[in-house]
Amino acid sequence: MALLECQDVTIAFGGVRALSGVDIVAHEAAITGLIGPNGAGKTTMFNCITGMLDPNSGSIRLDGKELGKQAPYKRARLGIARTFQRLELFTSLSVRDNIRVAGEIRNRWHKGRINVSQETERILTTLRIDHLGDRLVSEIPTGMARRVEMGRALMTHPRILLLDEPASGQDESETVEFGELLIELAAEGTGILLVEHDVALVMRVCSHIQVLDFGRIIASGSPEEIRSNEQVIAAYLGEEQSE
Amino acid sequence: MSDFLAYTVLGVCLGSIYAIAAAGLIVTYTTSGIFNFAHGAVGMLSAIFYWQLHSEQGGWGMNSLLAAIITVGVFAPLVGAFLEIVVIRGLEGTSEITKLVTPVAMLLALNGIATWVWFRDINTPHVPEAFFGLDGAKVFGQFVSYHQMIGVGLSILVAGFLYVLLRKTRLGVTMRATVDDRSLLMLNGGSPTKMSLAAWAIGSSLAGLAGVLLSPQLGNLTVFALTLLVFDAYPSALAGRLRSVPLAYAGAIGIGLVVNYWQWISEAGTKWVAFKTLSSALPALLLFVVLLLLPQDRLRGTVITRTREHFRVPTMPQSFLWGGVMIVTVLMLQALMVNSAVITLSNGIALGLISISLVLLTGYAGEINLAAYTFAGIATIVAWQFDVGPSGNATQTSLSVGAIVLAVLVCAGVGALIALPALRLRGLYLGLATFAFAVVIDVMVIRQAAPIDVNLFGWKFQLNFFTNGSLTVPRPNWFGIDFVKSQRNFLMLMTVLFVIIGIGLIALRRSAFGRMIVAMRDSPAACATLGLNIVQLKLAVFTLSSAIAGLGGLMWAAQQRNLTNQGTFQVFASLTLFMIAVVGGIGYVSGALLAGIFLSVLSVVMPDIFKKLATDYPSLQWLFETGLGNFTKFVGPALVGIGLGKNPSGIANQIMEGFAVLKKATVGVSIWIGITVVLWFLAWRDIIGNWTFAIVTIVLANIAPRIIISIWHDKVKDDLPDSGVEHDDLVGLSRPFNDSDRDRYNAILGITQQGAR
Repeated sequence: MALLECQDVTIAFGGVRALSGVDIVAHEAAITGLIGPNGAGKTTMFNCITGMLDPNSGSIRLDGKELGKQAPYKRARLGIARTFQRLELFTSLSVRDNIRVAGEIRNRWHKGRINVSQETERILTTLRIDHLGDRLVSEIPTGMARRVEMGRALMTHPRILLLDEPASGQDESETVEFGELLIELAAEGTGILLVEHDVALVMRVCSHIQVLDFGRIIASGSPEEIRSNEQVIAAYLGEEQSE
Repeated sequence: MSDFLAYTVLGVCLGSIYAIAAAGLIVTYTTSGIFNFAHGAVGMLSAIFYWQLHSEQGGWGMNSLLAAIITVGVFAPLVGAFLEIVVIRGLEGTSEITKLVTPVAMLLALNGIATWVWFRDINTPHVPEAFFGLDGAKVFGQFVSYHQMIGVGLSILVAGFLYVLLRKTRLGVTMRATVDDRSLLMLNGGSPTKMSLAAWAIGSSLAGLAGVLLSPQLGNLTVFALTLLVFDAYPSALAGRLRSVPLAYAGAIGIGLVVNYWQWISEAGTKWVAFKTLSSALPALLLFVVLLLLPQDRLRGTVITRTREHFRVPTMPQSFLWGGVMIVTVLMLQALMVNSAVITLSNGIALGLISISLVLLTGYAGEINLAAYTFAGIATIVAWQFDVGPSGNATQTSLSVGAIVLAVLVCAGVGALIALPALRLRGLYLGLATFAFAVVIDVMVIRQAAPIDVNLFGWKFQLNFFTNGSLTVPRPNWFGIDFVKSQRNFLMLMTVLFVIIGIGLIALRRSAFGRMIVAMRDSPAACATLGLNIVQLKLAVFTLSSAIAGLGGLMWAAQQRNLTNQGTFQVFASLTLFMIAVVGGIGYVSGALLAGIFLSVLSVVMPDIFKKLATDYPSLQWLFETGLGNFTKFVGPALVGIGLGKNPSGIANQIMEGFAVLKKATVGVSIWIGITVVLWFLAWRDIIGNWTFAIVTIVLANIAPRIIISIWHDKVKDDLPDSGVEHDDLVGLSRPFNDSDRDRYNAILGITQQGAR
């Protein structure tokens, strides 16, 4: 059974349909890619899944249970965590405290308490940002700040992790390292839904990819199938693919 | 039926004027993104200016039409433009709190100027006149004055003007674009500053028009009543979510109708007489209704921006150290002080005890409470009722622990109730809710000098809040220590209490709860996606902050001993306190202390000094008393607030940064402290005078850091703000790139000279 299942999700802002009958599926212990050109509706989809936007119609289910109109904080408690396309860090706190506070929040609502200090250090090390621990997040490079956001989300021990352009701001070698990290995470059982403009990264790490264009899913399948899909080539990959 | 029609017509007339005021507020907000708290004050100042031009009694007797044109078309826009140029432009890159506090300071400054210029002598009447006096005509069989008809007509004209301006003109579209994306507008050749200037001029003109039209409602003009009269329009602006003029118009007409219907109901019989005064608080109550009806704010991400505010969090050892320093300092100072100075210092620390509630709420959580004094008033009434009782005959002279606990609990509960409707919404709305709450409590509770007989479905009882308009608040008398007669003992009690609360707050800030509060302030969206119930956390913070405000307020009331219900707990006092607390450094416990002492000194000591100088030099009375004394008293605090844009982190932050530089020069600092202690000892033993001690200490405080830095430069140089270290990535920007830079970078990168060329 799919971990996250979005069916026929539609949302309009005024007269503009940002999402139109979108179906998305993400599985446990797998990385699912959600790609598409700018303005395709990827972040809007994330906002609908996390409850920051109410879709006009459609259903979003986690483990088969309908999320309905549940508030974002309730969805987070069910195991949905996310990062943001435009960084949403706690700028008054250090890198360490950004991650730590997520664990402290988790301990407020989760019966199985974690040792926040230990877990914080583990995540800092896993994400290779332990050397930045005492720096203010507002002082670190964007690429590293994205890892902090991811670390913060991981502190909640999510079942599904929604990553919104996590590799932007990272250089080539950092992106490669980051891809390996994602694979490790998925191997540990976390489901990952990845929105990313770095197509090479998506093709390398995702087992399944869905392509959005103008608020509609135009293709869905394995990386190989997406590579050869005419619609995708026309809408998104274009010249890059033909090269 | 005829009464109903009459009150309906009156309601529409009143609502039309509210609509003009609300429209002005919306124009300013949609263009500059700043809620103009001074909108009511601009209306007030314009109304008084109009009175000055037009009135035959005390004014210059100008023709009413000409006076109105000059006021609305020239004076009010100039005031708006002046505020935009001098104040608003300096707010770029500051937090929402600073953007709210600065207009509050503008409000207080305008109120201060009006009081200084027109109302120093409260016995001089300023009677406003309506257009065409009492003349009017019948509309639907009801008499309507020409003044009211003009109000309705102008309201329709303003609506049409704004529609055309904002929708159909290039200027209007550009004004709206300024808020959406300032940088994008600039990239496309637009000038946000010009747009903002135009909006503030237009907004102020509309505030002025509303002020002139509303002023005849008052038999005699007063600064506060006029300002609040324009404030009555705020709920209608909120009904339009500060963006929609048509919705604001609908809301304004609704408010006008409700106010008039209530007057009709409460005046018609005797049953509701007790609630007749409610009509003046109705717009504030309606603000709550609007807040309840507004849909919940969509949880949206905020673009990560680096604001200029920065607050350090002291470590726990540092907190204990500074707490001890404060207790010892106050102990040493009070030993030197005469009684009047002890009272001034006590007032300062008492005000600091109220301000410290804002450190938690505003400094840590980023939320706003504009009713700190109101909580002080509630706590005072509750404790007084508990200890003294409605009879007014004191049964005990000591403020009991039970009374304090009850007062604190009631404040916490009331705080939670007030905050609840606004917590779903943004910080500004909570600020406005607390402002409205302060107005309601002032009108409905504090000013109720006479007992109110209540008959609630047969249950008869008497409400006696502020007996005969004054209260004598008991002080504690614990552990055999007399805090009643000994002001010095009470000073020390408040000092210790301040230190305990301060250390408690710092401990809270350093705890998991504190981190959550700060995280919530920085990004509510991110917090929600981590599973945090933001409304619950905000509620907890507001409740705790209200409880602290109540405790501090009770101590402040006990410090004053005798309180009257005229203006003591008024909303404008809360505004001043809030503003000064932000100026002091809202993120610091020491900022709250500075705010309290600053307010106490500025409101008492400075005017006293100028008064004494005026007595000593009678020929210069115009300068010392009329000029500088009144300026300090009426406008001084507000000017401090207006300057906040230049130093948004507050004075405490500046002091902290200054001390941080000296942390490695322990020998120098020890010598400085040693000299100060010796000076204190000499003053204590009357070997030198108190003034000598004070002057030498102040001079020393100014020159000692410089001397220490120059002597121990090697130790402190790394911590100096501009230590001369040049950042490589700024070379070429901060100064032109030169040959020696090229050689240095070549060396760093390992590029040979030959290769480089």
